[in-house]
Amino acid sequence: MSEQKKNFLDSRIYPVLFMIIVTVIFVGMLATFYQFTRERVNLYQKEQLNITILQLFDLPTERLESNFQKFIQAKEKKNLKYYQAVKDSVILGYCFPISGKGLWGRIDALIALTPDLSKIIELEIIEQNETPGLGGRITESWFKKQFENKLIISNEVVQAFELISEGESNNDRQIQQITGATASSKAIVDMIYNNVKLIKEFGI
Amino acid sequence: MTKKEIFKVSAFTENSVWKQILGICSALAVTNLLINSLVMGLGVIFTLALSGFTISLIRDLIPRRIRMMVQTLIIASYVIIVDLFLKAYFPEISKSLGPYVGLIITNCIIMGRAEAFAGKNSPLDSLVDGIGAGVGYTLVLLLIAFIRELFGFGSLFGIKVLGDWWQNWSIMVMAPSAFFMLAILIWIINSKSKKVG
Repeated sequence: MSEQKKNFLDSRIYPVLFMIIVTVIFVGMLATFYQFTRERVNLYQKEQLNITILQLFDLPTERLESNFQKFIQAKEKKNLKYYQAVKDSVILGYCFPISGKGLWGRIDALIALTPDLSKIIELEIIEQNETPGLGGRITESWFKKQFENKLIISNEVVQAFELISEGESNNDRQIQQITGATASSKAIVDMIYNNVKLIKEFGI
Repeated sequence: MTKKEIFKVSAFTENSVWKQILGICSALAVTNLLINSLVMGLGVIFTLALSGFTISLIRDLIPRRIRMMVQTLIIASYVIIVDLFLKAYFPEISKSLGPYVGLIITNCIIMGRAEAFAGKNSPLDSLVDGIGAGVGYTLVLLLIAFIRELFGFGSLFGIKVLGDWWQNWSIMVMAPSAFFMLAILIWIINSKSKKVG
C-alpha cells in the first residue's frame, strides 16, 4: 500500500466518506427494489380489499372488477370514507374501514353494518401485528363470526360487548375472547365500539 | 479449510443456536408453525449469506471504528429486501409472520458471523459460512416447530395429522414451550457430543 493511500485510510474524514458512500449505495438499492415491488403490493392490497368488501355482503367475487362496480359504491362524507352495497336496487348495507390500537400496533379492519346501522353483518380483519398464534388468532373465523348479526346500536345507544372465556356459551351481548390474548380480544371489541360511535355521530 | 468443512463447522459443529446460544429470540417467537419457521429460516439464510459475502468483499476498506455501523446497514438492507419480497410475492405468509421478518436485523447470529467470520475471510468462504450458519439455525427452528405445531395444533405445515380426538396443548402455542423444547434439544445434543469428545 502506498504511503499516500495509507494516510488517507487513517484520516478522520475517511470513515465519514465511507459511511456516506455505503449508505447511498444500499439505500439506492433498496429504493430501486421498493419501486420494483410497490406496484405489485398495491395491486394485491386493492384487490384483497375489494374481494373482502364483496364477501362481507355475500356478493360474488369472480370477475372482480365488473362485480365490484356493479354492487359497490365508494362514498365519502366529510372525512368518513365508506362503501355502499346495492343489489337489485336494494341497499344491502354499508361497509366502513375501521382501525384501533392492538397490543403491538395498529389493527385495520372492515365492518359491514345493516342499512339502519343497528346490526353488524360481518367483521373482517385487514391488517394486524398481534402475536402469531395468540393475538394473531383474531383473524380466525370462529372469532370473527361471533360478531355476525349482533346488535350494535339499540335505542340510539352504541352497545359494548362483554368478554367471556373461550369455549363458554355466549349470548348476543357477549364475545368469547382468545385464551392467552385478552389484550388483543379487548382491542377488537374496543375498536368496534369506538368506531361505531364515531360513525353514529357522523350519521349517514 | 475447504468449503465443505466451513459449511459443516458453521452448520453443525459450531451451530449458532445450540452451541453459541444465539438467535434465541426468533427461535422462540416463530416456531409455533412449521411454515413460518421455514420462511423465517430461508430469510435468515439469504441475509446471512449475502451480508457475509458483501462485508467480506469490502472488509479491507471498512474503517475499524465504524465497522459495526456498516455491518448493521448492510444487514438491514438485505432484511428489508426479504421483507419487501415476501410482501409482494407471498403476502399471506408475510401477514402471518408480522413484524418478525423485520426483526431478522436484530438476530445476533448475523452480526456474530459478520464479526467472527466475514471480517477475516474471503467472500466465497463467507458466503458458504453464512449459508451453513443459516441452515443450522433453520434446522433448529424446524425441529422445534415440528413438535410445537404437532402438539399445539395437531397439524404439520397446516395439514391436520391428528384426529378430532386430539386436544390441542395451548402451552405449545405459547412462547414458554419453545424455552422447554430448546433446552431439551440443547441437553440432548450436548450429552451426545460429550460422549464423542
